[in-house]
Amino acid sequence: MASSLIIGQYVPSQSMIHRLDPRTKMIIIFLFVVFVFFANNFMSYGWLTLFAAFTALSTKIRLRYIAKGLTPVWFLIVFTFFLHLFVTHEGDILFRIIGFPIYSGAIAQGIQISIRFFLLILFTSMLTLTTTPIEITDAIETLLNPLKRFRFPVHELALMMSISLRFIPTLMQEAEKISKAQASRGVDFKTGPIKDRIQAVVPLLVPLFVSAFKRAEELAMAMEARGYQGGEGRTKLRALAIERIDWYAFIIFTFVLTGLFILRQ
Amino acid sequence: MKSWRALDLSYGAIFICLMAIGANITFWFPFLAIPIGGVSVPLSLQTFFSILAGMFLGKRLAAFSLLGYLFVGIIGVPVFAQMQSGVFVLFNYTGGFLLSFVLVGYVTGLLSEKINQKNMISTSSIAFIGVFVNYIIGVSYMYLAMNTWLGLTIAYQAAWIGMVPFLIKDLVLAGIAAVVLLKMIDRMPSTAYH
Repeated sequence: MASSLIIGQYVPSQSMIHRLDPRTKMIIIFLFVVFVFFANNFMSYGWLTLFAAFTALSTKIRLRYIAKGLTPVWFLIVFTFFLHLFVTHEGDILFRIIGFPIYSGAIAQGIQISIRFFLLILFTSMLTLTTTPIEITDAIETLLNPLKRFRFPVHELALMMSISLRFIPTLMQEAEKISKAQASRGVDFKTGPIKDRIQAVVPLLVPLFVSAFKRAEELAMAMEARGYQGGEGRTKLRALAIERIDWYAFIIFTFVLTGLFILRQ
Repeated sequence: MKSWRALDLSYGAIFICLMAIGANITFWFPFLAIPIGGVSVPLSLQTFFSILAGMFLGKRLAAFSLLGYLFVGIIGVPVFAQMQSGVFVLFNYTGGFLLSFVLVGYVTGLLSEKINQKNMISTSSIAFIGVFVNYIIGVSYMYLAMNTWLGLTIAYQAAWIGMVPFLIKDLVLAGIAAVVLLKMIDRMPSTAYH
Protein backbone atom coordinates (compact mmCIF):
# COMPACT_ATOMS: atom_id res chain seq x y z
CA MET A 1 0.00 0.00 0.00
CA ALA A 2 2.55 2.53 1.14
CA SER A 3 5.12 1.60 -1.48
CA SER A 4 2.61 1.73 -4.30
CA LEU A 5 2.05 5.40 -3.54
CA ILE A 6 5.65 6.18 -4.32
CA ILE A 7 6.09 4.00 -7.36
CA GLY A 8 2.57 4.71 -8.55
CA GLN A 9 3.72 7.79 -10.42
CA TYR A 10 6.02 6.48 -13.13
CA VAL A 11 4.47 4.63 -16.07
CA PRO A 12 6.96 2.67 -18.16
CA SER A 13 6.55 2.97 -21.91
CA GLN A 14 8.60 3.48 -25.08
CA SER A 15 6.99 6.75 -26.15
CA MET A 16 8.92 9.70 -27.55
CA ILE A 17 8.53 11.62 -24.33
CA HIS A 18 9.89 8.70 -22.32
CA ARG A 19 12.93 8.51 -24.59
CA LEU A 20 13.86 12.15 -24.14
CA ASP A 21 16.82 12.88 -21.93
CA PRO A 22 15.58 13.76 -18.43
CA ARG A 23 17.56 17.02 -18.61
CA THR A 24 15.69 18.05 -21.75
CA LYS A 25 12.38 17.39 -20.03
CA MET A 26 13.38 19.32 -16.94
CA ILE A 27 14.59 22.37 -18.87
CA ILE A 28 11.48 22.47 -21.05
CA ILE A 29 9.16 22.04 -18.06
CA PHE A 30 11.00 24.75 -16.13
CA LEU A 31 10.66 27.18 -19.06
CA PHE A 32 7.02 26.22 -19.55
CA VAL A 33 6.24 27.00 -15.90
CA VAL A 34 7.80 30.45 -16.36
CA PHE A 35 6.18 31.24 -19.71
CA VAL A 36 2.68 30.13 -18.72
CA PHE A 37 2.49 33.43 -16.86
CA PHE A 38 2.99 35.33 -20.13
CA ALA A 39 -0.28 34.05 -21.59
CA ASN A 40 -2.91 36.76 -21.22
CA ASN A 41 -5.79 36.07 -23.59
CA PHE A 42 -7.85 33.12 -24.72
CA MET A 43 -5.79 32.61 -27.88
CA SER A 44 -2.50 32.27 -26.01
CA TYR A 45 -4.02 30.03 -23.33
CA GLY A 46 -5.59 27.90 -26.03
CA TRP A 47 -2.25 27.59 -27.80
CA LEU A 48 -0.50 26.41 -24.62
CA THR A 49 -3.35 24.02 -23.80
CA LEU A 50 -3.03 22.57 -27.28
CA PHE A 51 0.69 22.01 -26.74
CA ALA A 52 0.15 20.44 -23.29
CA ALA A 53 -2.57 18.16 -24.66
CA PHE A 54 -0.32 17.15 -27.55
CA THR A 55 2.47 16.31 -25.08
CA ALA A 56 0.12 14.36 -22.82
CA LEU A 57 -1.17 12.35 -25.78
CA SER A 58 2.29 11.55 -27.06
CA THR A 59 3.32 10.01 -23.71
CA LYS A 60 0.98 7.12 -24.65
CA ILE A 61 -0.16 6.99 -21.04
CA ARG A 62 -3.88 6.40 -20.70
CA LEU A 63 -5.64 9.71 -20.12
CA ARG A 64 -7.67 8.23 -17.32
CA TYR A 65 -4.45 7.53 -15.42
CA ILE A 66 -3.22 11.10 -15.91
CA ALA A 67 -6.58 12.46 -14.79
CA LYS A 68 -6.45 10.26 -11.71
CA GLY A 69 -3.14 11.83 -10.76
CA LEU A 70 -4.77 15.24 -10.99
CA THR A 71 -7.69 14.46 -8.66
CA PRO A 72 -6.23 16.14 -5.56
CA VAL A 73 -5.95 19.43 -7.44
CA TRP A 74 -9.35 19.53 -9.13
CA PHE A 75 -10.75 21.05 -5.99
CA LEU A 76 -8.12 23.78 -6.05
CA ILE A 77 -8.86 24.57 -9.70
CA VAL A 78 -12.61 24.80 -9.14
CA PHE A 79 -12.12 26.76 -5.92
CA THR A 80 -9.91 29.31 -7.70
CA PHE A 81 -12.52 29.74 -10.40
CA PHE A 82 -15.33 30.46 -7.93
CA LEU A 83 -13.17 32.74 -5.83
CA HIS A 84 -12.46 34.90 -8.87
CA LEU A 85 -16.11 34.78 -9.81
CA PHE A 86 -17.10 36.55 -6.61
CA VAL A 87 -14.06 38.74 -5.99
CA THR A 88 -13.39 40.30 -9.39
CA HIS A 89 -15.51 43.32 -10.35
CA GLU A 90 -14.72 44.08 -13.98
CA GLY A 91 -16.89 44.33 -17.08
CA ASP A 92 -20.70 44.25 -17.08
CA ILE A 93 -22.96 42.56 -14.61
CA LEU A 94 -24.23 39.44 -16.35
CA PHE A 95 -26.52 37.94 -13.70
CA ARG A 96 -26.86 37.52 -9.97
CA ILE A 97 -26.48 34.43 -7.80
CA ILE A 98 -28.39 34.87 -4.52
CA GLY A 99 -27.87 38.59 -4.70
CA PHE A 100 -24.18 38.48 -5.66
CA PRO A 101 -23.47 40.26 -8.94
CA ILE A 102 -21.42 38.21 -11.41
CA TYR A 103 -19.35 40.30 -13.80
CA SER A 104 -18.29 39.26 -17.28
CA GLY A 105 -14.68 40.12 -16.47
CA ALA A 106 -14.83 37.80 -13.47
CA ILE A 107 -15.84 34.82 -15.57
CA ALA A 108 -13.09 35.51 -18.08
CA GLN A 109 -10.45 35.95 -15.40
CA GLY A 110 -11.67 32.93 -13.42
CA ILE A 111 -11.44 30.70 -16.47
CA GLN A 112 -7.99 31.99 -17.40
CA ILE A 113 -6.49 31.54 -13.93
CA SER A 114 -8.02 28.07 -13.65
CA ILE A 115 -6.53 27.10 -17.00
CA ARG A 116 -3.16 28.40 -15.81
CA PHE A 117 -3.38 26.19 -12.72
CA PHE A 118 -4.44 23.23 -14.78
CA LEU A 119 -1.62 23.68 -17.29
CA LEU A 120 1.01 24.04 -14.58
CA ILE A 121 -0.05 20.87 -12.85
CA LEU A 122 -0.62 18.82 -15.98
CA PHE A 123 2.70 19.77 -17.52
CA THR A 124 4.83 19.33 -14.41
CA SER A 125 3.26 15.92 -13.79
CA MET A 126 4.53 14.86 -17.25
CA LEU A 127 8.07 14.70 -15.86
CA THR A 128 7.37 12.16 -13.16
CA LEU A 129 4.96 10.16 -15.28
CA THR A 130 7.61 9.54 -17.90
CA THR A 131 10.89 9.58 -15.95
CA THR A 132 12.15 7.30 -13.18
CA PRO A 133 13.25 9.03 -9.96
CA ILE A 134 16.81 7.76 -10.48
CA GLU A 135 16.97 9.35 -13.92
CA ILE A 136 15.72 12.60 -12.41
CA THR A 137 18.35 12.64 -9.65
CA ASP A 138 21.03 11.97 -12.27
CA ALA A 139 19.69 14.86 -14.31
CA ILE A 140 19.67 17.14 -11.27
CA GLU A 141 23.26 16.23 -10.58
CA THR A 142 24.40 17.21 -14.05
CA LEU A 143 22.19 20.29 -14.30
CA LEU A 144 23.43 21.63 -10.97
CA ASN A 145 27.04 20.87 -11.84
CA PRO A 146 27.94 24.54 -12.42
CA LEU A 147 27.20 25.14 -8.73
CA LYS A 148 30.24 23.01 -7.89
CA ARG A 149 32.29 26.08 -8.68
CA PHE A 150 30.72 27.73 -5.61
CA ARG A 151 31.60 24.61 -3.62
CA PHE A 152 28.00 23.49 -3.43
CA PRO A 153 28.01 19.70 -2.84
CA VAL A 154 26.01 18.70 -5.92
CA HIS A 155 27.05 15.06 -6.00
CA GLU A 156 26.30 14.64 -2.31
CA LEU A 157 22.85 16.19 -2.74
CA ALA A 158 22.01 13.80 -5.57
CA LEU A 159 23.34 10.81 -3.64
CA MET A 160 21.40 11.77 -0.54
CA MET A 161 18.24 12.05 -2.65
CA SER A 162 18.81 8.63 -4.20
CA ILE A 163 19.34 7.06 -0.77
CA SER A 164 16.16 8.63 0.55
CA LEU A 165 14.20 7.40 -2.48
CA ARG A 166 15.37 3.91 -1.62
CA PHE A 167 14.43 4.23 2.03
CA ILE A 168 11.12 6.11 1.92
CA PRO A 169 9.07 2.94 1.22
CA THR A 170 11.04 1.01 3.87
CA LEU A 171 10.46 3.58 6.56
CA MET A 172 6.82 3.88 5.57
CA GLN A 173 6.39 0.16 6.14
CA GLU A 174 8.18 0.57 9.43
CA ALA A 175 5.70 3.26 10.49
CA GLU A 176 2.82 0.96 9.57
CA LYS A 177 4.35 -1.87 11.59
CA ILE A 178 4.82 0.31 14.66
CA SER A 179 1.25 1.54 14.53
CA LYS A 180 0.01 -2.08 14.31
CA ALA A 181 2.34 -3.17 17.09
CA GLN A 182 0.98 -0.49 19.38
CA ALA A 183 -2.60 -1.37 18.45
CA SER A 184 -1.96 -5.06 19.25
CA ARG A 185 -0.87 -4.01 22.71
CA GLY A 186 -4.36 -2.68 23.16
CA VAL A 187 -3.49 0.99 22.98
CA ASP A 188 -6.57 2.92 21.96
CA PHE A 189 -5.73 6.30 20.52
CA LYS A 190 -9.01 6.81 18.73
CA THR A 191 -10.87 8.29 21.63
CA GLY A 192 -9.95 10.61 24.40
CA PRO A 193 -9.03 14.28 24.50
CA ILE A 194 -6.76 15.85 21.89
CA LYS A 195 -4.02 16.34 24.46
CA ASP A 196 -3.77 12.58 25.06
CA ARG A 197 -3.77 11.85 21.37
CA ILE A 198 -0.93 14.25 20.68
CA GLN A 199 1.04 12.83 23.58
CA ALA A 200 0.55 9.37 22.11
CA VAL A 201 2.90 10.46 19.33
CA VAL A 202 5.92 9.95 21.57
CA PRO A 203 5.72 6.12 21.97
CA LEU A 204 5.15 5.87 18.22
CA LEU A 205 7.96 8.15 17.11
CA VAL A 206 10.73 7.01 19.42
CA PRO A 207 10.81 3.46 17.92
CA LEU A 208 10.61 4.99 14.46
CA PHE A 209 13.64 7.13 15.21
CA VAL A 210 15.58 4.25 16.71
CA SER A 211 15.07 2.01 13.70
CA ALA A 212 15.72 4.85 11.24
CA PHE A 213 19.01 5.75 12.89
CA LYS A 214 20.05 2.12 12.96
CA ARG A 215 19.43 1.87 9.23
CA ALA A 216 21.44 5.01 8.58
CA GLU A 217 24.42 3.63 10.47
CA GLU A 218 24.27 0.26 8.74
CA LEU A 219 24.10 1.95 5.37
CA ALA A 220 27.04 4.22 6.13
CA MET A 221 29.08 1.23 7.24
CA ALA A 222 28.18 -0.65 4.06
CA MET A 223 29.17 2.36 1.94
CA GLU A 224 32.50 2.71 3.65
CA ALA A 225 33.17 -1.03 3.41
CA ARG A 226 32.68 -0.74 -0.36
CA GLY A 227 35.10 2.14 -0.53
CA TYR A 228 32.79 5.12 -1.04
CA GLN A 229 34.99 8.20 -1.22
CA GLY A 230 32.75 10.90 -2.56
CA GLY A 231 31.91 11.90 -6.10
CA GLU A 232 35.39 12.37 -7.59
CA GLY A 233 36.05 9.89 -10.38
CA ARG A 234 32.83 7.96 -9.82
CA THR A 235 31.38 6.32 -12.93
CA LYS A 236 27.76 5.70 -13.87
CA LEU A 237 25.92 2.59 -15.00
CA ARG A 238 23.70 4.63 -17.29
CA ALA A 239 25.23 7.79 -18.68
CA LEU A 240 22.89 10.53 -19.87
CA ALA A 241 23.24 11.64 -23.49
CA ILE A 242 21.56 14.41 -25.49
CA GLU A 243 20.50 12.93 -28.83
CA ARG A 244 18.76 14.03 -31.98
CA ILE A 245 15.29 13.57 -30.47
CA ASP A 246 16.20 16.07 -27.73
CA TRP A 247 17.12 18.73 -30.30
CA TYR A 248 13.75 18.14 -32.03
CA ALA A 249 12.05 18.67 -28.70
CA PHE A 250 13.86 21.97 -28.18
CA ILE A 251 12.97 23.11 -31.72
CA ILE A 252 9.29 22.28 -31.18
CA PHE A 253 9.32 24.10 -27.87
CA THR A 254 10.93 27.20 -29.39
CA PHE A 255 8.18 27.15 -32.01
CA VAL A 256 5.55 26.96 -29.24
CA LEU A 257 7.10 29.91 -27.39
CA THR A 258 7.26 31.97 -30.59
CA GLY A 259 3.59 31.21 -31.16
CA LEU A 260 2.81 32.28 -27.61
CA PHE A 261 4.42 35.70 -28.08
CA ILE A 262 2.64 36.23 -31.40
CA LEU A 263 -0.77 35.35 -29.93
CA ARG A 264 -0.52 37.27 -26.67
CA GLN A 265 -1.63 40.89 -26.55
CA MET B 1 34.79 23.40 4.04
CA LYS B 2 34.56 19.92 5.49
CA SER B 3 33.27 17.36 3.02
CA TRP B 4 30.42 15.00 3.86
CA ARG B 5 31.11 11.53 5.12
CA ALA B 6 28.98 8.52 4.20
CA LEU B 7 27.45 8.64 7.68
CA ASP B 8 26.40 12.28 7.29
CA LEU B 9 24.76 11.54 3.95
CA SER B 10 22.87 8.52 5.24
CA TYR B 11 21.59 10.48 8.23
CA GLY B 12 20.58 13.33 5.94
CA ALA B 13 18.73 10.85 3.72
CA ILE B 14 16.97 9.31 6.71
CA PHE B 15 15.66 12.71 7.71
CA ILE B 16 14.32 13.24 4.19
CA CYS B 17 12.37 10.00 4.69
CA LEU B 18 11.15 11.10 8.12
CA MET B 19 9.97 14.42 6.63
CA ALA B 20 8.10 12.49 3.95
CA ILE B 21 6.39 10.35 6.58
CA GLY B 22 5.73 13.35 8.81
CA ALA B 23 4.01 15.23 6.00
CA ASN B 24 1.38 12.51 5.71
CA ILE B 25 1.50 11.04 9.19
CA THR B 26 -2.28 10.59 9.40
CA PHE B 27 -1.98 8.02 6.65
CA TRP B 28 -0.31 5.64 9.12
CA PHE B 29 -1.58 7.00 12.40
CA PRO B 30 -5.15 8.03 11.50
CA PHE B 31 -5.98 9.04 15.05
CA LEU B 32 -3.83 12.11 14.54
CA ALA B 33 -6.51 13.76 12.42
CA ILE B 34 -7.72 16.36 14.88
CA PRO B 35 -11.39 17.37 14.64
CA ILE B 36 -11.79 21.15 14.59
CA GLY B 37 -15.40 22.24 14.34
CA GLY B 38 -16.66 19.04 12.71
CA VAL B 39 -13.92 18.92 10.05
CA SER B 40 -10.97 16.68 10.81
CA VAL B 41 -7.73 18.48 10.10
CA PRO B 42 -4.87 16.11 9.32
CA LEU B 43 -1.89 16.78 11.50
CA SER B 44 1.41 17.19 9.73
CA LEU B 45 4.72 16.66 11.47
CA GLN B 46 6.92 18.52 8.99
CA THR B 47 7.77 21.39 11.32
CA PHE B 48 8.32 18.86 14.09
CA PHE B 49 10.79 16.83 12.04
CA SER B 50 12.61 19.87 10.67
CA ILE B 51 13.18 21.07 14.23
CA LEU B 52 14.46 17.63 15.21
CA ALA B 53 16.68 17.57 12.12
CA GLY B 54 18.32 20.76 13.35
CA MET B 55 18.73 19.44 16.86
CA PHE B 56 20.08 16.03 15.85
CA LEU B 57 22.13 16.84 12.76
CA GLY B 58 23.45 20.31 13.45
CA LYS B 59 22.96 23.41 11.32
CA ARG B 60 24.89 22.45 8.19
CA LEU B 61 23.68 18.90 7.71
CA ALA B 62 20.10 19.75 8.74
CA ALA B 63 19.81 22.56 6.21
CA PHE B 64 21.38 20.35 3.53
CA SER B 65 19.07 17.44 4.32
CA LEU B 66 15.96 19.64 4.26
CA LEU B 67 17.07 21.14 0.97
CA GLY B 68 17.27 17.57 -0.28
CA TYR B 69 13.71 17.01 0.94
CA LEU B 70 12.49 19.95 -1.15
CA PHE B 71 14.32 18.61 -4.20
CA VAL B 72 12.85 15.12 -3.75
CA GLY B 73 9.41 16.73 -3.70
CA ILE B 74 10.17 18.97 -6.67
CA ILE B 75 11.21 16.03 -8.84
CA GLY B 76 7.77 14.56 -8.28
CA VAL B 77 7.95 12.05 -5.46
CA PRO B 78 4.80 12.67 -3.40
CA VAL B 79 6.55 13.65 -0.17
CA PHE B 80 4.75 16.93 0.54
CA ALA B 81 1.54 17.14 2.57
CA GLN B 82 -1.53 15.50 1.00
CA MET B 83 0.82 13.41 -1.16
CA GLN B 84 1.54 16.40 -3.35
CA SER B 85 4.68 16.92 -5.37
CA GLY B 86 6.17 19.02 -8.11
CA VAL B 87 7.65 22.47 -8.39
CA PHE B 88 4.13 23.82 -8.52
CA VAL B 89 3.61 23.14 -4.80
CA LEU B 90 6.30 25.69 -3.97
CA PHE B 91 4.43 28.35 -5.91
CA ASN B 92 1.20 27.62 -4.12
CA TYR B 93 0.29 29.81 -1.18
CA THR B 94 1.64 27.31 1.36
CA GLY B 95 4.97 27.02 -0.45
CA GLY B 96 6.66 29.41 1.96
CA PHE B 97 6.26 26.94 4.79
CA LEU B 98 8.13 24.34 2.77
CA LEU B 99 10.89 26.76 1.82
CA SER B 100 11.26 27.88 5.41
CA PHE B 101 12.04 24.35 6.64
CA VAL B 102 15.61 24.75 5.41
CA LEU B 103 16.03 27.82 7.59
CA VAL B 104 14.19 26.18 10.50
CA GLY B 105 16.69 23.33 10.40
CA TYR B 106 19.58 25.77 10.22
CA VAL B 107 18.38 28.00 13.07
CA THR B 108 17.46 25.18 15.45
CA GLY B 109 20.75 23.47 14.60
CA LEU B 110 22.71 26.65 15.24
CA LEU B 111 20.99 27.23 18.58
CA SER B 112 21.42 23.68 19.83
CA GLU B 113 25.09 23.81 18.87
CA LYS B 114 25.49 27.01 20.87
CA ILE B 115 23.56 25.82 23.92
CA ASN B 116 25.31 22.84 25.41
CA GLN B 117 23.00 22.24 28.30
CA LYS B 118 20.15 19.98 27.23
CA ASN B 119 17.10 20.18 29.43
CA MET B 120 13.40 20.68 28.91
CA ILE B 121 13.60 24.47 29.04
CA SER B 122 16.47 24.93 26.61
CA THR B 123 15.29 22.36 24.04
CA SER B 124 11.67 23.50 24.08
CA SER B 125 12.71 27.15 23.67
CA ILE B 126 14.82 26.21 20.66
CA ALA B 127 11.86 24.29 19.24
CA PHE B 128 9.53 27.28 19.76
CA ILE B 129 11.96 29.56 17.96
CA GLY B 130 11.96 27.04 15.10
CA VAL B 131 8.17 27.20 14.88
CA PHE B 132 8.22 31.00 14.77
CA VAL B 133 10.80 31.05 11.99
CA ASN B 134 8.56 28.62 10.12
CA TYR B 135 5.43 30.74 10.51
CA ILE B 136 6.97 34.16 9.95
CA ILE B 137 8.37 33.08 6.60
CA GLY B 138 5.41 30.86 5.74
CA VAL B 139 2.70 33.43 6.39
CA SER B 140 4.63 36.29 4.76
CA TYR B 141 5.14 34.15 1.67
CA MET B 142 1.44 33.27 1.68
CA TYR B 143 0.54 36.97 1.77
CA LEU B 144 2.99 37.70 -1.03
CA ALA B 145 1.81 34.77 -3.15
CA MET B 146 -1.86 35.59 -2.81
CA ASN B 147 -1.43 39.27 -3.59
CA THR B 148 0.87 38.79 -6.55
CA TRP B 149 0.80 35.67 -8.70
CA LEU B 150 -2.37 34.10 -7.34
CA GLY B 151 -4.23 37.35 -7.87
CA LEU B 152 -6.22 37.35 -4.61
CA THR B 153 -6.18 40.34 -2.31
CA ILE B 154 -6.06 39.62 1.38
CA ALA B 155 -4.76 41.61 4.33
CA TYR B 156 -1.60 40.57 6.13
CA GLN B 157 -3.50 40.25 9.42
CA ALA B 158 -6.11 38.03 7.80
CA ALA B 159 -3.40 35.66 6.64
CA TRP B 160 -2.13 35.40 10.21
CA ILE B 161 -5.56 34.90 11.74
CA GLY B 162 -6.24 32.02 9.39
CA MET B 163 -3.07 30.29 10.48
CA VAL B 164 -3.54 30.60 14.26
CA PRO B 165 -5.02 27.10 14.81
CA PHE B 166 -2.09 25.58 12.95
CA LEU B 167 0.38 27.69 14.90
CA ILE B 168 -1.05 26.40 18.18
CA LYS B 169 -0.81 22.83 16.92
CA ASP B 170 2.81 23.29 15.90
CA LEU B 171 3.74 24.92 19.20
CA VAL B 172 2.32 21.90 21.04
CA LEU B 173 4.27 19.61 18.72
CA ALA B 174 7.41 21.63 19.34
CA GLY B 175 7.05 20.74 23.01
CA ILE B 176 6.75 17.07 22.00
CA ALA B 177 9.87 17.46 19.85
CA ALA B 178 11.76 18.59 22.94
CA VAL B 179 10.53 15.50 24.82
CA VAL B 180 11.53 13.17 21.98
CA LEU B 181 14.95 14.77 21.75
CA LEU B 182 15.58 14.35 25.45
CA LYS B 183 14.46 10.71 25.29
CA MET B 184 16.64 10.00 22.29
CA ILE B 185 19.73 11.94 23.25
CA ASP B 186 21.49 9.01 24.91
CA ARG B 187 20.73 6.72 22.02
CA MET B 188 22.14 9.14 19.45
CA PRO B 189 25.51 8.10 18.11
CA SER B 190 28.06 10.74 19.00
CA THR B 191 29.21 10.85 15.38
CA ALA B 192 26.08 12.50 14.06
CA TYR B 193 25.80 15.00 16.85
CA HIS B 194 28.27 17.73 16.05
